[in-house]
Amino acid sequence: MPQDYRLDKIGLINRNKKISFKFNGKSYFGYEGDTLASALIANGVHLVGRSFKYHRPRGFFGAGVDEPYAIVQLYRNNETDPNVRATEQELFEGLEAKSVNCWPSVNFDIGAINNFLNKFFPAGFYYKTFMWPKSFWYKVYEPFIRKAAGFGVASIKHDKERYEHKYEYCDLLITGSGPSGLASAYAAAKNGARVILAEDKPRFGGSLLTSEVNIGNQSGKEWAENIVNELKEMPNVIVRNRAQVFGYYDHNMLVMSERINDHLPKSKKYSPKQRLWYIRAKEVVISSGSIERPLVFGNNDTPGVVLSSAAKEYLKVYGVLVGRNPLIFTNNDSGYETAIEFKKNGIWPIILDTRNNPNSEIVDEAKRMGIDIKFSYVVVAAKGYKKVKSAEIAKISEDKKELGAIENINCDCICVSGFWTPTIHLASQSGNKTKFNEEIDAFVPGKSKQEETTVGSANGIFTLEETLKTSFEAGHQLSKKITKNDNKVSIPKVVEKKLTKHDKFWCVPLPKGKKYKRFLDFQNDVAVTDVELALREGYRSIEHVKRYTTLGMATDQGKTSNLNGLQLVSDVENKIVPSVGHTTFRPPYTPVTIGAIVGREVGKHSKPTRKSPIHSWHEKHNAVFVDAGVWLRPRYYKQGSEGLFEASKREAENVRKNVGVCDVTTLGKIDVKGPDAAEFLNRVYTNAWLKLPIGKARYGVMLREDGIVMDDGTTTRISGNHYHMTTTTAQAANVLSHLEYYLQVIWPELNVNVVSTTEQWSGAAIAGPKSRNVLQKLFPNIDVSNEGLPFMGYVEGDLFGVHARIFRISFSGELAYEVNVESNNGNYMWEKIIEIGKEFSIQPYGTEALSTLRIEMGHVAGSELDGRTIPYDNGLQGLLSKKKDFIGKRSLSRQAFVAEDRQKVVGVVPLDKKTSIPEGSHLVKEEKAKLPNPKLGHVSASCWSVEYNNPFSLAILHDGKNMIGQKLFALSPLKNKSIPVEIVSSHYVDPKGERVRS
Amino acid sequence: MLHIKCPYCGTRSQNEFAYGGDATIKRPELNKEVSDKEWDTFVYFRKSPRGKHLEFWHHISGCRQWFKVQRDTTTHEIFKTLKPNEDI
Amino acid sequence: MQKYSVFSLIKNALKGHKDWEVAWRNPTPKAEYDVIIIGGGGHGLATAYYLAKEHNITNVAIVEKGWIGGGNVGRNTTILRSNYMHDQNGLFYEKGMDLWKSMSQDLNFNVMYSPRGIINLAHSDAQMNAYSRRGNSMRLNGIDAVLLGREEVQKIVPMLDFSENVRFPIFGALMQPSGGTARHDAVAWGYARQADSMGVDIIQHCEVTGFDVVNGKIKGIKTSKGDIKAKKVGLCVAGSTSVLAEMLNMTLPIETHLLQACVSEPIKPILDHVVTFGAGHFYCSQSDKGEMVMGGDLDGYNSYAQRGNLPTLQHVLTEGIAMFPFLSKLKMLRTWGGIMDMSMDGSPIIDKTHIEGLYLNCGWCYGGFKATPVSGWTFAHTIAQDRVHELNAGYNLNRFSTGHLIDEKGLGTKTWIS
Repeated sequence: MPQDYRLDKIGLINRNKKISFKFNGKSYFGYEGDTLASALIANGVHLVGRSFKYHRPRGFFGAGVDEPYAIVQLYRNNETDPNVRATEQELFEGLEAKSVNCWPSVNFDIGAINNFLNKFFPAGFYYKTFMWPKSFWYKVYEPFIRKAAGFGVASIKHDKERYEHKYEYCDLLITGSGPSGLASAYAAAKNGARVILAEDKPRFGGSLLTSEVNIGNQSGKEWAENIVNELKEMPNVIVRNRAQVFGYYDHNMLVMSERINDHLPKSKKYSPKQRLWYIRAKEVVISSGSIERPLVFGNNDTPGVVLSSAAKEYLKVYGVLVGRNPLIFTNNDSGYETAIEFKKNGIWPIILDTRNNPNSEIVDEAKRMGIDIKFSYVVVAAKGYKKVKSAEIAKISEDKKELGAIENINCDCICVSGFWTPTIHLASQSGNKTKFNEEIDAFVPGKSKQEETTVGSANGIFTLEETLKTSFEAGHQLSKKITKNDNKVSIPKVVEKKLTKHDKFWCVPLPKGKKYKRFLDFQNDVAVTDVELALREGYRSIEHVKRYTTLGMATDQGKTSNLNGLQLVSDVENKIVPSVGHTTFRPPYTPVTIGAIVGREVGKHSKPTRKSPIHSWHEKHNAVFVDAGVWLRPRYYKQGSEGLFEASKREAENVRKNVGVCDVTTLGKIDVKGPDAAEFLNRVYTNAWLKLPIGKARYGVMLREDGIVMDDGTTTRISGNHYHMTTTTAQAANVLSHLEYYLQVIWPELNVNVVSTTEQWSGAAIAGPKSRNVLQKLFPNIDVSNEGLPFMGYVEGDLFGVHARIFRISFSGELAYEVNVESNNGNYMWEKIIEIGKEFSIQPYGTEALSTLRIEMGHVAGSELDGRTIPYDNGLQGLLSKKKDFIGKRSLSRQAFVAEDRQKVVGVVPLDKKTSIPEGSHLVKEEKAKLPNPKLGHVSASCWSVEYNNPFSLAILHDGKNMIGQKLFALSPLKNKSIPVEIVSSHYVDPKGERVRS
Repeated sequence: MLHIKCPYCGTRSQNEFAYGGDATIKRPELNKEVSDKEWDTFVYFRKSPRGKHLEFWHHISGCRQWFKVQRDTTTHEIFKTLKPNEDI
Repeated sequence: MQKYSVFSLIKNALKGHKDWEVAWRNPTPKAEYDVIIIGGGGHGLATAYYLAKEHNITNVAIVEKGWIGGGNVGRNTTILRSNYMHDQNGLFYEKGMDLWKSMSQDLNFNVMYSPRGIINLAHSDAQMNAYSRRGNSMRLNGIDAVLLGREEVQKIVPMLDFSENVRFPIFGALMQPSGGTARHDAVAWGYARQADSMGVDIIQHCEVTGFDVVNGKIKGIKTSKGDIKAKKVGLCVAGSTSVLAEMLNMTLPIETHLLQACVSEPIKPILDHVVTFGAGHFYCSQSDKGEMVMGGDLDGYNSYAQRGNLPTLQHVLTEGIAMFPFLSKLKMLRTWGGIMDMSMDGSPIIDKTHIEGLYLNCGWCYGGFKATPVSGWTFAHTIAQDRVHELNAGYNLNRFSTGHLIDEKGLGTKTWIS
């Protein structure tokens, strides 16, 4: 089947390779090198979607990233991507795409009723209505609006693609491979600079692919090919196509997304779909070119109205005609280039030029070719609903205010050119304050803020000769600054047509009695009347206009609409454009796949997982793990049909009765060394440290400067100047930074060094009345008697051939020891303990049993040390030295902290001795008081006391010290529970602490 | 991403560092009587200037040294980095 | 003032929308006002509105450096909630929720108040307990809250990651059904329009350059449009608070930091609630336009830049995909940043100052949007009556001396760690 709109002899596509694809269920074919857009146009398909608000028919407007219309749902390799621009999507075998935002079909879309009612839906109409009755917004109107909005459909399947990140440094990053980019890259590369050249399209060359110019006796296209081929061969140059530099961040960090597999039916094995490049460039050359501006006229959104440059690109790159009967509507010379291309390929265009017979080389050429040119003519309105069928045209007066008689003219497409807008996004993102260039009616970069230079048409330079000259120079100078080389390349001779000035005219007045919609923002359906309305209502700042009308907020981010919007505001407000100012350009320049931004840190890898060296033993023994920060810790070891409660109760009971062993490797460990170590600890901890003997451990609490408890743990004096500090698992990293801060910044005079040894040591806590028996067998040569190794004592020993540290410390409140060995030997140690402990009925216990044991002993932990409590609240006031200063001490004397009725940790027991109190319950005096019911405190931790066989909880209670014996209610409305409780001491078991010393 | 010159290691990307806040506040000396106001000012009150800001950074994934950075809080331009005992 | 309604819309449509009046005037400043509010953001506009409406004080000017609503009221993720643990916070924000409920009708401007429910995911039993503490506190304060188990969460938000390949599995969630969203710009415009109609002068593009303070009493302000006298001045400038405070030789327990947010391209409705991630800091909702609205951590260093860096967004979106794997295939469309007045305990300050007639409203951290009505309501009361209302009594400046801090997160003074 021949393609009606494909020419035989022109284009860069590979005609030897046909590619079949489907659009809206219908099969078509295209060629290798096509985009979905070019292939559809070749097949005569112009209706691809519907607009956001009015559901008006939408075709193709551009041929690249600026495309506001042609957004489709893409199906590839059993996955689907929403909101893919057909103008960017390369064709691959088996591609399937569907129109979005239309129902039941793009041809017949119920939503188009909005278009007929559009007078009732001006800008911001939703702010003025949908308010009655009150609940209807949320219940009726909003769900309806939500359904109508949005484009594509997101698949909730997990994304199977891979995305990668790459970090790169270079001397020069060049963003775009048009003439300016190629010239800069070539000059810099030849001068020895490390260059990255990025091109967002599949083909290099930018405007050279479509323009009729001659560089150094070659066509522009050949010159570009030769330069790119040479650059690709150079070792100091990285050349990437399908790579969009989308963000210019601080300190010359730019980010580029490279589409590696999007153009293939499925991603190659071991190859990411996209790769995100973080590029730190010494210098950046912004050669991002420019985008053609639309002219604004009635129904200028009808399918078949296209940018003239896009029409030319479809023709020259893809051999595709956007129409066979084209009307060219232009205010400058560029439209003529398109017209001439049509003519050369046997199509007779008609040109409407808003100018009055300008003196121009290219106009003369068009005349010579016999093209019909109507000067001082405009398109008043496009005619046709789903495709342009004709146009209403008219002569326009010198002052551009009066239209002549309306004439009808047949055409099947209208190619518009309203001159060019430099793509200044990256420059603006860099912090560059842009300036308005009257000559070209557009903003160009101002003074550089970071190390960036804008060249070519992105800088408002529209002649090739000047572009090449300045770009070669920029490439040379910037590279010279870095490499100190001075190798210049010669600038080739350029043959191009001289340009004549464009006409500042951009918007066609409405003929009397006609109310054509004249669109500025094509995707969001923002018309001239919408902006006028916003201004009339006082939304006069350009940001207000944008937000009120949604101008420029669509997925194309206003690439074709922003400047015309500014023109309109400046016309209505009678201000010059620069004083209206433009809205802020922010990254990304084009939408970027979120998966690519995130990279490999997905699924299980979204955060690191830290495991103790004993982890696989735990796994083998049916441990159920719990996340403790990024660590995984055994929560309990499941036996048979046990659940959490049964297992943890068994484990805790066994500790109280026999002996248990717990993996405490995750605890933070810090080596504190140096002659001033004791003095340092004395300042860091609230209690006294100067007299701790060698071979002794001490419990300490450290505060933040605001007096709040930061962390607690034991620190052991290993030798004269060497202390081993432990921290909680959660606070390990913070404590180390905290210590380093005080040592390096506040007290540099102290001769102390600290280093984390968390990874170096693996630890096992052996707890229970029979723990000494186990220890004795583990270390037969050490005296582990109460006298030989008393509570808070420390010795070193040999554990079956490996060096071990033995601490007599206890978190469970039982006679207990902690054994540390080098991490490599952690599992060995563990297996030995289990093996030897067998005869004493040793069982491993997890964090849940550990929790039970500490709660009933009244030891505070994370749920009490929650970043809001001071030592007093935790019953730790005894550890506050009165004799010395320490971090945070001064804060403790503040009014709220010394209040008589200050909150304090207490124990809570249900009166029925049966009902467990949910953690997070609040304690109140009256069960059924009027809300808000005054809260006296909250239950921070609960357990089943294995000692007393009833529930027990800890709570932080207002005036806690005077509340012992009081009867209160523990309320958990979330769980619908109200439990009468009695307040008791937090030290529920062994209040005198005899066991740990036994 | 900022590019920060650690005075010990050289210039590195921001993701090697942790921020450490205002470096102009002086901790009152240990064991020295200080008024409530002086203490509260040290703990809570910050100038938070728009423009040049002297601040701490911590080379947490590098040499683990704390150091001072003078940076513009509107442009993020870094003027100078200093060791903790050095002053602007 | 023209009334907005479906009837006025139809009437105006038939006349080609030519007869709509300006939403607010563009007045030149008078020589003197009873009250000047500095800052034409949400809170400033709301304050002026409630001064006029509740206290009958209409000789009021709002002085705004740029365009109204250009600060954080136009740069947030539009979330409304009162799911706080501390009584001061809970009761304050719950008053705010009451004001939200009838705001569209009060202002005759559709602010699209949408109580779609906010869901805070929990990823461990410990977190479930922490949420229980918070949720129970809410319930005892008369605020709606429910605790959801894993299966219940899955029923409501099935596209969360319930797969095996998840780093932090979902244990459950705390939900405030009445939490939700509102259309941020509309809030600013709605307050502006009503305040203007009651006589408040909204003076845009007018930068404050100094204060006139005599003998410890405020007399007026100096601006780029000349000196303006005032009996009372309210400072309501969020991230710019420290800059203005410096003109008054005041130092505050505040640092200014940058928070970024971003939206995806619009897609068909998939998410009906606001959901926050529990194993990090990420929150997400879907706008009426179809965009996924996402935010998370601060950029992490003092900043007035209103522009952020990508690593923070990368980190935020990493948590986003960990929560909603489907986000991977969407495209990030737009990013922006706002500067936050981060207070040292994470709670705001609405108080008188040591200067007579000068009132302070700041310290909103990244939670200011939801407070807009109640902040204005209490600040108006504080200014009009020259004393704090019981709802904002706890938000005094003195708490940093007395130790009566309101630290909801327990993070202390490192404001940049969120």
